[in-house]
Amino acid sequence: MEQSRKKFLKHFLIGATSVPLILEACKKDDITTSGDTGSGTETGSGSGSCSVSPTETAGPFPTKTPSSLVRSDIRADRTGVAITINITIANTNNSCAVLAGAIVDIWHCDKDGYYSEYGGSGMQTVNYTAVHFLRGRQTTDANGLVSFTSIFPGWYSGRATHIHVHIYNASGASLLVTQISFPEGSSSAVATVNGSGGTAYGYTKGVTGYTYNAADNVFSDDTAGVESATVTGSLATGYTLAHTIKVAA
Amino acid sequence: MPYIASYHIFSVMVKKIIRLCYRKVIDASSSKKWDKYVFESTYTEFLMQAQLYNRDKKYSGFGELIQNVPGAEKLHFLVSAAIVGYLRQLDGVVPDILNNLGKHFLKFTDYRFEIINSDVKNKSSHQVAINFFSEPLTWHDTIENYLLLSPVNEEKTNDGVLTELLSLQPFLSIYSIKPEQNDNAIKS
Repeated sequence: MEQSRKKFLKHFLIGATSVPLILEACKKDDITTSGDTGSGTETGSGSGSCSVSPTETAGPFPTKTPSSLVRSDIRADRTGVAITINITIANTNNSCAVLAGAIVDIWHCDKDGYYSEYGGSGMQTVNYTAVHFLRGRQTTDANGLVSFTSIFPGWYSGRATHIHVHIYNASGASLLVTQISFPEGSSSAVATVNGSGGTAYGYTKGVTGYTYNAADNVFSDDTAGVESATVTGSLATGYTLAHTIKVAA
Repeated sequence: MPYIASYHIFSVMVKKIIRLCYRKVIDASSSKKWDKYVFESTYTEFLMQAQLYNRDKKYSGFGELIQNVPGAEKLHFLVSAAIVGYLRQLDGVVPDILNNLGKHFLKFTDYRFEIINSDVKNKSSHQVAINFFSEPLTWHDTIENYLLLSPVNEEKTNDGVLTELLSLQPFLSIYSIKPEQNDNAIKS
């Protein structure tokens, strides 16, 4: 034990004296192993130890990339009945004229009622390629419209079917956090998708235990239906949701 | 069975399958281009997403939000969306970690992003970490301060299995371990 400690200290001292050499090497290598590679061991990278400097061809070269939320097709690896979500943003500070350039985030659960998020606690690993399913961000066009391709949301205990929306102005300041509700009734999309026809698409929960809008703690006070979207379509052709949200921008 | 187990413990070297974790810390002092992009994009995303949990703008620090607002710990996950594009640019190779030949070699597909500190009013306090979890590796032996490793399922050459020599270093740890025997037993 003592011997290995001595050995360690010896290595450490050798490491300390060779630091200037390593720094010098980094300097000379600046062109081939510069910060542009995003992968060299330079100062402040967190792996500062006495080990070899990178000696390989430069690359890959990082480029500025928007958040992975910025996309109109938000399905990732989720399957279900197709739905196109069209949201128009209007500005109450401008006679409810449509608002261009607003940033719109949406997120909703999958057909089984699950949201994308880190499962459990602690340090469980996550595969980065599919972890942010059913979340997306778009900027409204000249008509105040954003459009997302997704799957019809499922439901979970205690809540009616819904879509979360967070609207920001062009510089990212929050304007409104709200939710969109779905129409109900025997021929509604919610009833059809969660009925026997939806089983083939993986919606197997049925509506036993479903919380309807009138009993939903978010939508129950929306008697005027301000949060309720228009939903048209069918299982075979997919559904289209249209909704206008008013913000003070 | 207990006899066999103890025999393995005292044998020369039972091969183990390990996954390494490299915790890459990025803050205002990070100098590499990739790191700076991650710093900028995660701070921007933090400013946007934090508003969900800070509607009346009562708090400014990430620690305050975590302590006072239920659900605010989801910010780790929500802000992580900002780095997915940058992770893709790494082509599945863990940054910074080199073998003793000076080359990057560690493969990953799993990660976990965490916000260490941040503040909506103070960008310089923004500090994040990306934990890179390596693909499974066979740990053949330990030579001084080095682990002798090879990717699981590495094909044998005429010279045997090709290996990598990796120095133990700060922010690098063994995330998980299991005996190679068990792994084979499950397969067969």
